[in-house]
Amino acid sequence: MGMDFAVIWRNLPYLLEGLLLTLQTALLVILGGTALGVGLGILRTSRLPVAKQAAVAYIEAIRGTPLLVVLSVVYFGLPPVVGYRLGAYQAAVVGFTLFIGAYIAEDYRSGLASVPPGQIEAGLASGLSRGQVLAHIVLPQAIRRMIPALFNQFVRLLKFTSVASIIGVMEFTGAAMTVNAREFQPLPILATLAATYLVVCSLLSQVGRWLNLRYAIAA
Amino acid sequence: MRYRFEWGVLWQYRRALLHGFLLTLGLSVAGLAGAIALGILLGTGSAGERRWLRIACGGYVELCRSVPLLVHMYFWYLGLSALKVPGFWCAVLALTFYSGAFVAEVVRSGIQSVPQGQWAAGLASGLTRRQTLHSIVYPQAARIVAPSLAGIFSQLIKDSSLASVISVAELTFQAGAIEGVTFRTFEAYVGVSLLYLVIVSTISQITLFLFHRRAVDMTAYV
Repeated sequence: MGMDFAVIWRNLPYLLEGLLLTLQTALLVILGGTALGVGLGILRTSRLPVAKQAAVAYIEAIRGTPLLVVLSVVYFGLPPVVGYRLGAYQAAVVGFTLFIGAYIAEDYRSGLASVPPGQIEAGLASGLSRGQVLAHIVLPQAIRRMIPALFNQFVRLLKFTSVASIIGVMEFTGAAMTVNAREFQPLPILATLAATYLVVCSLLSQVGRWLNLRYAIAA
Repeated sequence: MRYRFEWGVLWQYRRALLHGFLLTLGLSVAGLAGAIALGILLGTGSAGERRWLRIACGGYVELCRSVPLLVHMYFWYLGLSALKVPGFWCAVLALTFYSGAFVAEVVRSGIQSVPQGQWAAGLASGLTRRQTLHSIVYPQAARIVAPSLAGIFSQLIKDSSLASVISVAELTFQAGAIEGVTFRTFEAYVGVSLLYLVIVSTISQITLFLFHRRAVDMTAYV
């Protein structure tokens, strides 16, 4: 069983299509997950006890559950209960978003904690509403402080989009394993997978580092 | 919503769930042991003074952290299928090498956050480098990294669910099996996720307790 990379060249268009799907999934989940995470994070600081409790319960439940189980619940478990139908790809995007949102909400907490309470009080005292304080004082600072943590989550998310292959989404890992099932050359295929994920993840963390340098607030 | 819940299936298939629970526990404990051992070695190496060792350990950590766990699993299970490693141990190896890289990062930052003066004091009082590392640096680093380690450990337990893909009959696999027979998908997966919650919270409590106590013990010597 040698390392013959011809198998990669033969299947390059198919693999690239998979990689593209992986990137597309990651991008959608990054956008959705960040929105959900920040939303949940805001809800948790809400004055309504019900909203607060619900956000905490959601975050804890998701953080205690493996991704594959969350994905299975969204794809197999919930449809008969709630009565909807999702394709595998949609289920993956929804499941990943619901999953990573809980982790981002947790990071939002530390971002929020880094905004000095005096600033919030100053905002309220100068006549801004709570919503305005949130939008103009808290969020801009909290999000900028969250950049490193956020990009950690994004890199993690990029890797775990591979789990979508288990429910039949032909993203990068799924495509590679399909090629492997046809040609049975696991070593070159897995080496290519690993190298590509390494490059993409490094690029993504590089973007994070750059954004952090550019936008971080000096402590 | 006309769905009728039947939580009874969980009780009906309790033997399968117990089997899965024990396997998940076994996977987690074996994976944890491997990841801790590997992580301490690599983390110490990349916090050390030898340049080539730092680069080698850092490169390894970067590679293993960037490759999805699922690919790690396939590597041991399919890539090295010639070795005929059983599925369970493939999963343990994958968890060890994947999570070990995360542990290494935490260990490295823990060691580096111990003030240089502690090293100097240890060496000056006649301890060897190894003794300084063991009795002065590690105990202090352990206290610093305990919360991050607890986080990685609970992640590892949940990640062990991916072993179901290489046909290890652990908890998630059993949920799929129960679903296949009864079509009670929702009940099966929710039941299983509660069992994960039990394992995760137990192990992270143990981690925090052990490391915290150890740290307190060490300060008693000061």
